[in-house]
Amino acid sequence: MSAPAGTPEAVWVVVTAFNEASVIADVITGLRAAGYQAVVVDDASTDATAQIAEAAGAHVLCHPINLGQGAALQTGITFALRQGAEFVVTFDGDGQHRPQDIPALIEALITRQADFALGSRFLGNALNLPSSRRWLLRAATWFTRLTTGLRLTDVHNGLRAMTRHGASVIQLRQNRMAHASEILAQIARSGLRYVEVPVTIVYTDYSLQKGQRMSNSVSILVDLLAQRLHR
Amino acid sequence: MMAQLMLTALLSVILLYAWLEYRRSPFVASISVLASLVGLYFVWFPNHATRIAEAVGIGRGVDLVLYTWVGITFIVLLNLHLKVRSQMELITGLARELTIMRAGTGELPRGQTPQRADAAH
Repeated sequence: MSAPAGTPEAVWVVVTAFNEASVIADVITGLRAAGYQAVVVDDASTDATAQIAEAAGAHVLCHPINLGQGAALQTGITFALRQGAEFVVTFDGDGQHRPQDIPALIEALITRQADFALGSRFLGNALNLPSSRRWLLRAATWFTRLTTGLRLTDVHNGLRAMTRHGASVIQLRQNRMAHASEILAQIARSGLRYVEVPVTIVYTDYSLQKGQRMSNSVSILVDLLAQRLHR
Repeated sequence: MMAQLMLTALLSVILLYAWLEYRRSPFVASISVLASLVGLYFVWFPNHATRIAEAVGIGRGVDLVLYTWVGITFIVLLNLHLKVRSQMELITGLARELTIMRAGTGELPRGQTPQRADAAH
């Protein structure tokens, strides 16, 4: 039986994790303290990420093999929907997202009758964001505008919320980092309503080390092109 | 004549391959068909290949045939890449269902694959 809509219990937060043993406990503790259901999808970590996440109070799903963040997100979304989630939030496991931004995302879904609330660090704050990363993200924003027509300020932000209906529309086929562009393409195709919500992203040495590199942008382009060539 | 027959047989196999692949990847199949037909034309009308080659600045007709063959090889490689992606999607779906089925069983297996350079989340 699902929790009443709008209550924290109705919100399932999907956290993807690969070797995040040093930070995952803090991430899950923050989410559980706010009352959210937390689902950690452990993408075949070689450390104790899964055990630590479970001890912190998360539902833990373990991929038998490493598939990538996009695949992990889809696994978490599918699981949350099967558990009766009214709202699904995607949240990074490296500690750069803040649980206190989630209420604004959910409120935007409810009050603005949207199916997707997309976090924007450029409408909110991006603490310690390196300038090279800022320019890369700007380029990605323009690329997305050209390819999807969506006029967004931030296109590779992993902090987003969706209604149950919105989540059921998303079917990620990009296993790796190109999933962020794929989600936006699917939102554009679905015709469902989306809104952007200011959020704060806190970059740490740890998250910068684990996050995207410049070279990943080439891989993302190749993955997106390859997907267009086959059904 | 013998070489023409052998090349015709090879290109016919590629045509058949393209036809079989059409449902999965129309773009790649169409390009394969086009390149194979061009190849067949050059095999049976080598003089035309020489004339076209001279017109586009390649020089010899045989070089044009060679370039066409390289193009076909590239397309087949691209198709193989797409096929590997399709296989990966099937594996992903299987792994996902297995993962969700195991949820809540109290079983928390450690990852069995080595850490990948591109696996950062």
